[in-house]
Amino acid sequence: MRSYFSDFPKTALQASYWLFVIYLLLPLALMMAISFKDANFVAFPIDKWTLKWYAQVLQDKQFLEACAYSIFIALMTTMFATIVGVWIALLITTEGMIARSVIFALACLPAVVPGLINAISMRIFIRVLDIPTGTGAIILGHTVHAVPFVVIMVLTRLRSMPNNLVDAARDLGADSFVAFMRVTLPYLAPALAGGMVFCVLTSIDDFVRTFFLGGYQTTLPMLIFAKVQGGMSPEINAMATLVLIVTAAVGLYAEHLTRRSRTR
Amino acid sequence: MMVDSSMTDTAKVSPRAGPSYAGWIGKLANSPIYAATIGLIANSRMARLVLLLAIPLIWIVTLHIGPIYQMARISIMDNYPPAPGGTVYTLDNYRLFFQEPLYFMPFLRSIVFAVCVTATTLIVVYPVAYYVAKVVKPENRTRALLLLLTPFWAGELIRTFSVIMFLANRGAVNVFLREIGFIDRPIIMLYNYFSLSFGVIYLISLFMLLPLYSAIEKIPTSLVDAAADLGAGPWARFRRVILPLSKDGIISGCSLVYLTSIGVFAAPLLLGGPNSTIFPEIIASLFHGSSDKWPEGAAFSILMLAVSLSTVGLFMRVVGGRTVKLM
Repeated sequence: MRSYFSDFPKTALQASYWLFVIYLLLPLALMMAISFKDANFVAFPIDKWTLKWYAQVLQDKQFLEACAYSIFIALMTTMFATIVGVWIALLITTEGMIARSVIFALACLPAVVPGLINAISMRIFIRVLDIPTGTGAIILGHTVHAVPFVVIMVLTRLRSMPNNLVDAARDLGADSFVAFMRVTLPYLAPALAGGMVFCVLTSIDDFVRTFFLGGYQTTLPMLIFAKVQGGMSPEINAMATLVLIVTAAVGLYAEHLTRRSRTR
Repeated sequence: MMVDSSMTDTAKVSPRAGPSYAGWIGKLANSPIYAATIGLIANSRMARLVLLLAIPLIWIVTLHIGPIYQMARISIMDNYPPAPGGTVYTLDNYRLFFQEPLYFMPFLRSIVFAVCVTATTLIVVYPVAYYVAKVVKPENRTRALLLLLTPFWAGELIRTFSVIMFLANRGAVNVFLREIGFIDRPIIMLYNYFSLSFGVIYLISLFMLLPLYSAIEKIPTSLVDAAADLGAGPWARFRRVILPLSKDGIISGCSLVYLTSIGVFAAPLLLGGPNSTIFPEIIASLFHGSSDKWPEGAAFSILMLAVSLSTVGLFMRVVGGRTVKLM
């Protein structure tokens, strides 16, 4: 009976929900609004509207280069993190595996360590190993951070997989590699898609690891950080709005994909 | 019948007695190179186990444990890079932390700040999660949840930036308050603890929302009905039934928010002021800039890691009453 739940102060709950939605959406909406402001400084109210900031951003070579660089790092990160993550998840679900929970805990370690500490430990690690800061170091740092999330997503999916699917494939003569490629991997597809989009978005968004591991080339968050610190102009708003729309669209699409596969 | 005949056809065409597959995997599986390499591994139990173990274990040991081990090692060195005279291992870096209020106070501030942020987030988000999980009709639930999730697809820096514009002296709030004649002079909201907490909660409330939502959603309605039938009022039902049953969500939500807020880095740089310096900035300054004090920085990081993880462990013990299952 729902009525017992709803005789709680329902309107108060509803109000708290909508206030929270406003809290989450209003700053972003206002930020987007200022990107259309025809003035050189960032402030309210908006008297005149323009699209010139967008034109300026889309011609900004620095911005476009930062975008390309960030996307490149994100794709490399996603590729490595997916391979390693699936591999670790398979190891954990292997029958008769000893110390399963220890392996799982260690695999999740980088996700539990606070971001700054994670970045600093990677910085120390690459200096000890004489790996130069720069693209390779950033990809390594992002991958280490992304692996636990892939492991968790893949594990959740693997648990719901009927054991006899792989057994059936093996009985029909497939060796374990073929069985993996033709049975396990397709079954994992929705979890992998979700995990990959997650990797891409966290890598593109990451600031602290790039801050410590990066070289001279700026990524997107570094560029936005530098611009915000350097002084405000609606150009940053236009830049942020563009990035926001693209990432939100990708995120929503991934959400849609995983949700559809879950209900199927 | 169609299926049968096509299957026999393939069997006739295929030169091998083994199974045949469509697509590139089939071509690969039937090639002699495959039989000599992957096929050999895939068909041997021992080789399979070694391969399955090798990559994950090497990865976990070198890249998950390695960095923390190196950080711990450097934290007890007197100099890094090692001085020509050889390295002396010492605990001085840790001693410095407790002797110097310049380091110790921001650390305490950081911990207190993270605890306050976690508590505030829990109180603010709980009713929201409850509303979505139990009051909203099931068919609208996805939409209600998506409305809350969408802002989080925007990046950390973009959201921090939007908070700056929201709270600035000529930002949205101040302009609005002046328009309606509530204030003459802008209220200073930026670069202090208020803006910092506002921003950090804005950044990480999702980590509270999702665990709480999934925990509350799992509570069977029948239990609450039973409590109501036995005469429990709304408060008693919440206190004695819903709250205990959503404990797992509270534990994981609080742990996530606490660990994230303690390590948050960009937000304090942009939203904090000179009076709200928290520990991450201190640590970062030891690695960057003119003062190249890696051993001290490493020692402080280790302390911060130890304290934050043990706080979470303690919290799980006290609230959970048992060791929380990892898997």
